[in-house]
Amino acid sequence: MTTSLEQTPDSALIGKVMAGDESALSALYDRYAPMLFGMLMRVLKDQQAAEEVVQDLFLQLWREAGRFDASRGSLPAWLMVIGRNRAISRLRGRRDRELLEEHEGDFASAFVSSANIEDEAARAQLARSVTTAMEKLPAEQRQVVELAYFEGMTQSEIAAKTGSPLGTVKTRARSAMQTLRQMLG
Amino acid sequence: MMEAHANPDDLDLYALGTLDGEEKQTLEAHLRDCPACAQKLAAARQRSALLGMSAVPVSPRAQVKSALMEKVHAEKRQVSQPSPTRARKKRWGLRFSLGFGLATAVLVFTTFELARQDLERGKRIKQLEAQVAQNAAAMDAMGQVTGAPDSAEVTLLEQPGGPPGQAHVVYNARMGVGVYSGQLAPAPAGKSYQLWLVPASGAPVNAGLVEANQQNGAVVMRLTPGLVAKAFAVTLEPAGGMAQPTGPKVLVGAAS
Repeated sequence: MTTSLEQTPDSALIGKVMAGDESALSALYDRYAPMLFGMLMRVLKDQQAAEEVVQDLFLQLWREAGRFDASRGSLPAWLMVIGRNRAISRLRGRRDRELLEEHEGDFASAFVSSANIEDEAARAQLARSVTTAMEKLPAEQRQVVELAYFEGMTQSEIAAKTGSPLGTVKTRARSAMQTLRQMLG
Repeated sequence: MMEAHANPDDLDLYALGTLDGEEKQTLEAHLRDCPACAQKLAAARQRSALLGMSAVPVSPRAQVKSALMEKVHAEKRQVSQPSPTRARKKRWGLRFSLGFGLATAVLVFTTFELARQDLERGKRIKQLEAQVAQNAAAMDAMGQVTGAPDSAEVTLLEQPGGPPGQAHVVYNARMGVGVYSGQLAPAPAGKSYQLWLVPASGAPVNAGLVEANQQNGAVVMRLTPGLVAKAFAVTLEPAGGMAQPTGPKVLVGAAS
């Protein structure tokens, strides 16, 4: 990857990918693969499976870059949301979730302000903010959020796994969401 | 019984994928009929997606990238000659893309400028972010709909005695998703423009409110999959819209 590509915005890199520029895909991989792979490892806990998801997603990006050309900031959203869905589908055999969200197409809105995470320092800052917000949750609330996000569990499944009453899980989940909403905006 | 609008907690839990049972069904039913809550769901999805960033970034092994780049290099991109239908859809895609791209870029830039200049403007920033989210969602829906071979393109034309204007809808009945883009004279005070899908039989279906100028920020319609359109129409209704059309048709376009 050239130094100039490291500074190039996603939109320009995606345009280059559309034109068949392999170095642009390489730059996007370098930019987002660690964030994506870190999340996938947390979900799958399987290096090979996580690597396959990473490779599949970037290969899909190569083939379908036109989906992103004018939607600045949608690429990391697509990687994180669809990556998570595919990981959970593998983990739990829940193809329904993957199909639902890919067809609904809401993923592009997930990182509405992601233009600023094209820069590594900004990505690190945002990651710190999210981590801090999670750490400030009471342990039992954080557990509910983590089981939901990283293991794809519903409230009922979390209640069964933790042995907590469903009503308690719901209360914890709602309290956690209220806190995260306040902290993350 | 669902409240007038969805509980923000429910939207967050739904975005996270953890809401289940009756709560999930009730919320989904509400989201189908409430564009305002559907828009709030986009922000909830943003928060949900951010949670993945709490995982520590890890670089995949070097051979993952090598294997990827080898596949990419070996894969000759098939650039087939587009069919006439496909070509038309691509032009629509370009039309929408340019609008979304411009509007999104402006909104993103403005958002960060405001953040830098004055933190007190947080409320305005959130509004801009919501617009960016809407554009991004619209962009994606556009990509899906215009890329599908079974989508239909409808031009809505102004009506005699009505305000000048024209609009376009790209609609996919199988998905129940459409994208509206167009321009009309500003609606009179206390009035709203409302888009309707006119089915082959039965009453018109509310497809949501549209602004007079939707050239740079199209509206995404999310209707019942399988709903076949005979026509689309825009009517002038009391502010906020009506359950069924009551005002004059200002734009009409037959779907076939």
